[in-house]
Amino acid sequence: MAEKTVGKPIKRTEDPRLIQGLAHYVDDIRLPDTLHAVFLRSIYAHARIKSIDTTAAQKLPGVVAVYTGKDVAKIGPVPCAAALPDLKVPDHRALASTKVYFVGHPVAVVVAESKSAARDAVDLIEVDYQELPVALDEEKAADAKSPVIHEQFGTNVAYKLTAGEGDIEAALKSADQVIKQRILHKRLAPIAMETRGVLARYYPGEQELTLWTSTQIPHLCRTQVAIMLGMPENKLRLITPEVGGGFGSKLNVYAEEALMGWISMQLNRPVKWIEGRRENMQATIHGRGQTGYIEIGFKKDGTLTGLRYNVFADMGSYFQLLTPAIPTLTGLMLSGCYKIPAIQINVTGVFTNKMSTDAYRGAGRPEATYVVERALDLVAAELKKDPVEVRRKNFPQPNEFPFKTATGLFYDSGNYQGALDKALKMADYTKLRQDQQTARKEGRLMGIGVSTYVEICALGPSAAMPAGGWESATVRVEPTGKVTVLTGASPHGQGEETSFAQIAADELGVGVNDVTVIHGDTAIVQYGIGTFGSRGLAVGGTAVYLAIQKLKDKAGKIAAHLLQVDASTISFAEGKFTSSAAAGKQITIQEVTLAAHVAKSLPEDMEPGLAATSFFEPKNFTFPFGTHIAVVEINKETGEIDFQRYVAVDDCGKQINPMLVEGQIHGGIVQSMGQALYEEVVYDDQGQLITGTLMDYALPKAIMIPHLELGSTETPSPVNPLGAKGVGEAGTIGATPAIVSAIVDALAPYGVRHLDMPLKPEVLWQIINKKSAGAA
Amino acid sequence: MIPASFDYIAAKSLDEAISLLATHKDDAKILAGGHSLLPAMKLRLMQPKVLIDLGRIKELSYIKEEAGQLRIGAMTTHFQVETSDLLRRVCPLLPETATQLGDMQVRNKGTIGGSVAHSDPAADWPAAILALDAEIVATSARGDRVIKATSFFVEMLTTALEPGEILREIRIPGGKGKSGQAYVKVRHPASGFAVVGVAVNLAADGGKCQSAGVGITGVSPKAYRAANVESGLKGNALDAKTLSAAAAHAADGVDINSDLYASAEYRKQLATVYTRRALEIAASRLK
Amino acid sequence: MKIEGTQKIDAPRALMFAALIDPAVLQKCIPGCEQMEKTGENQYSAKLTAGVGPVKGVFNATVSLEDIIAPEHYKLVVEGKGQPGFVKGSGELNLTDAGSATDIQYTGEVNVGGLIASVGQRMIQATANMLAGRFFKSLESEMKAQAKLPADS
Repeated sequence: MAEKTVGKPIKRTEDPRLIQGLAHYVDDIRLPDTLHAVFLRSIYAHARIKSIDTTAAQKLPGVVAVYTGKDVAKIGPVPCAAALPDLKVPDHRALASTKVYFVGHPVAVVVAESKSAARDAVDLIEVDYQELPVALDEEKAADAKSPVIHEQFGTNVAYKLTAGEGDIEAALKSADQVIKQRILHKRLAPIAMETRGVLARYYPGEQELTLWTSTQIPHLCRTQVAIMLGMPENKLRLITPEVGGGFGSKLNVYAEEALMGWISMQLNRPVKWIEGRRENMQATIHGRGQTGYIEIGFKKDGTLTGLRYNVFADMGSYFQLLTPAIPTLTGLMLSGCYKIPAIQINVTGVFTNKMSTDAYRGAGRPEATYVVERALDLVAAELKKDPVEVRRKNFPQPNEFPFKTATGLFYDSGNYQGALDKALKMADYTKLRQDQQTARKEGRLMGIGVSTYVEICALGPSAAMPAGGWESATVRVEPTGKVTVLTGASPHGQGEETSFAQIAADELGVGVNDVTVIHGDTAIVQYGIGTFGSRGLAVGGTAVYLAIQKLKDKAGKIAAHLLQVDASTISFAEGKFTSSAAAGKQITIQEVTLAAHVAKSLPEDMEPGLAATSFFEPKNFTFPFGTHIAVVEINKETGEIDFQRYVAVDDCGKQINPMLVEGQIHGGIVQSMGQALYEEVVYDDQGQLITGTLMDYALPKAIMIPHLELGSTETPSPVNPLGAKGVGEAGTIGATPAIVSAIVDALAPYGVRHLDMPLKPEVLWQIINKKSAGAA
Repeated sequence: MIPASFDYIAAKSLDEAISLLATHKDDAKILAGGHSLLPAMKLRLMQPKVLIDLGRIKELSYIKEEAGQLRIGAMTTHFQVETSDLLRRVCPLLPETATQLGDMQVRNKGTIGGSVAHSDPAADWPAAILALDAEIVATSARGDRVIKATSFFVEMLTTALEPGEILREIRIPGGKGKSGQAYVKVRHPASGFAVVGVAVNLAADGGKCQSAGVGITGVSPKAYRAANVESGLKGNALDAKTLSAAAAHAADGVDINSDLYASAEYRKQLATVYTRRALEIAASRLK
Repeated sequence: MKIEGTQKIDAPRALMFAALIDPAVLQKCIPGCEQMEKTGENQYSAKLTAGVGPVKGVFNATVSLEDIIAPEHYKLVVEGKGQPGFVKGSGELNLTDAGSATDIQYTGEVNVGGLIASVGQRMIQATANMLAGRFFKSLESEMKAQAKLPADS
């Protein structure tokens, strides 16, 4: 009898192959006669293409074909699944035809016998561009005087949207005070370790296309690529091998995916494209990108009355799958973990001459949490109250759940005080504040930042999703008793092969190693939605759980038949069926499985085999929460930041594997530190992407990260039978405001109340230096 | 990230490398680890037709004492410098610099000669080489030529090496009396290069500074010796006040780099602060 | 990206200005300029091999002289395109008398695009300053050479 594993920190079963370099990513799949594709991408942010001459490129030995925009006009537009009222949707094609809209915009693709030949040929393509004025800043681009990117719209404003409940005007009027703050969320590059990559192979006889691609959503991608290519969906097999990270950037359907399929169909040969890192910077979606204005109203005692957020959201020049929808998630989460009677968001989605923005770990919610947490800090500073006190004052009580927000959500469950208290205790907050007093007396710049956050996860009920929010699982017990789980939630680093196996193993009384989790092949796995929005476990894992319940129900009937008892007397535990009507008799799941397969003796009318499928439709989102505390000291001479403590208490509901939970929290906090301190996609005033490589775009490294002190509370979600809420994005949501808050707090003696990220040492030094000079 | 096509020749000896370079001239580049050259080639910023690899020439990889000097072969890896017992004992500045250079992969494959010959304006080695008053031995069909470190770094990515010359060896003069050394740097969060890197080599006698070598990298288009810092130290007692006053001259008379991470104004401040820190550490090691 | 500065060159202003709008002089002074052909009034096409150290690119360029107010002001515009991307530079040059010498005060704007923009961020400013420095250094030696000529002849 196998030991129970749910709730235990068992090691990831994926890791041995990953660590040993034995895993297979797209580029590891080698097919004979494969051609290689390399793109020519625009070096201008906005230009008219006067002519393209591919003659010399075509003549280069080894080159098989060169395609430009007009050659691929039959490929349908790159899809955008977001539906918003009066949304202006540009016609987004696989290759540029008359104009280029951003640096990195694909203009032509060379297909050759070798990568080198294809790359050489790219340099031989001559494009005559006529440069056009650029629109880059989302706020300025919305102005009527800005150069217009898509002429047919006559404006760069893609849409305007107002959301929220309560009378915001009255709420702000009723406040004792209203604070306003402009706030920036800079563009970030997701930088999955594995760049994108596609291998396409067309079988002309069968008229079938197989596409290997690095995606978070194999089935949705298959559907969309089939539509783009005008082919029957069931003639397209999409395989997602190992995926080396996505962070939302592969929750998408990209032009290159359809284009490789199309090229393979033209040439009847396999064709492969592997994105380079510079391409990845330029032409894989970016995250964030908002310029916003906060107005927060509050009473003298710290009670919040209303919050308004007017935001210009940078779309980039085209929509990718969810581009315009991301800011709507910001609007949904503007209540944070507080009672705010009236909330309003006014979004202006703006086209700019840059790569599209889209979902990046957190996708709109980090922006919301950052806005609310910065606002709470501003309120606390204004009232000269401890930021913890202001937060606590506005928390809903644990007995007020499900808690309805003025953004129209019902938070499933929560105990915000519990997580806060635990974090304060771990950090010894009272002592920290005393230490801070001492530090300030000594002239040292010590700062403490507290963020209490809630996020929206387990996306989500289908009614609230563009293309289905359910997830699927099939669980089969094979004749030898081995368990196969087919999940539609194809993972890209989450460890679902382990956590789903834990659920199956415990439910069926087998070992984790007896379970194989299969994902990411549309020819094998039933239709699924994918892994994003912290949904893998809470939605996909629940589907596994529910499929097993169905399967156990059938197995129970077979067991009853074999034990010659009534099915109602059967119970199942630790891999064995027993009957209350036949003491001492038992039959194992393996025996039942074999009986189900050999089918010599089954209940009347029962079908042979032992498999079940579930499509789980969640009734609500889940709302994980927590408290993060950062303690920093800033060097007065250099502005350099020294992390002294980092404490995080996260509540993601029931934990299936605490080690995976910790891993997710670690990764999330680290990415948050990246955003808070280092990362920023910078386009210069000509629209050139000057953080073009990892020599200039700073990702956090292990040596830059302090020791993370983690704790957790467990408030189960009532939304699913696992009680799990999701944890994939918590770190990127809860940590950023805590870090910024700590740094702002450290600089409070200089009158600083807000600073925009990334908080580079020079920014801090300039403040310290200027103020010191001013005082002197 | 696909380089233009090129021929690769692994030279078996230094003589062969010299003669290959004489044959291929400007078409050739010397491969000495490749951690700057290969990325530049993959970006097609550099498109040499021939790569002459020194990687198999064992005679170019050594650290030894000879003729009162420390001699380091050009193909000695950063890791070999970092872990050399001899250097840790007699010239700890070099291992201390190596430890802070790049990452593990770079240190395992990259070489001191390759880095110095490439002369990246933010590379770590030039600071140490300058502070130590080193000599660089260039060799060609015409024989050896010894170049003082102070005249080796000409401008950004440009050294005093002439066509046909290969950097063969780095020579560090033997110390006289007690020395205190230190290398400190501000690491660029993305590249790991020195935003500011300061190498200090002090010698003192009877509490007074006898000689001071201060090499600074990352601040200017080429690494330089901070002459005004050095003159502020020589002959003086190395107390906190002297060190601090001398460090204030760290960026005297140079064009200061400005980039996305640090403006010239801020870089100058970093240079001052890190020079002071390096001096303090070096001075404390004199004891 | 901005470059600016003042350069004193030991030559009278009229002579200095004449040199600065002379394509033969410009070809000698624009760093890496290998050939220059007239394509119109004050307009030239040029081939530049520009870069630093071993990192060099070949650019097909246009050079034009604009807003000429002799002998005190003009604008030099150089635009080049090549495999590593594009370079656009424009500089306003203002000449004033400095005794028998001339002060050339320049303010310019340099923009780069393509590969050099995406990988060269940390070295671009220094490179621009260096190329401007080379331009004036060559100009200085050119003026010295010119000053010698009449004496020798």
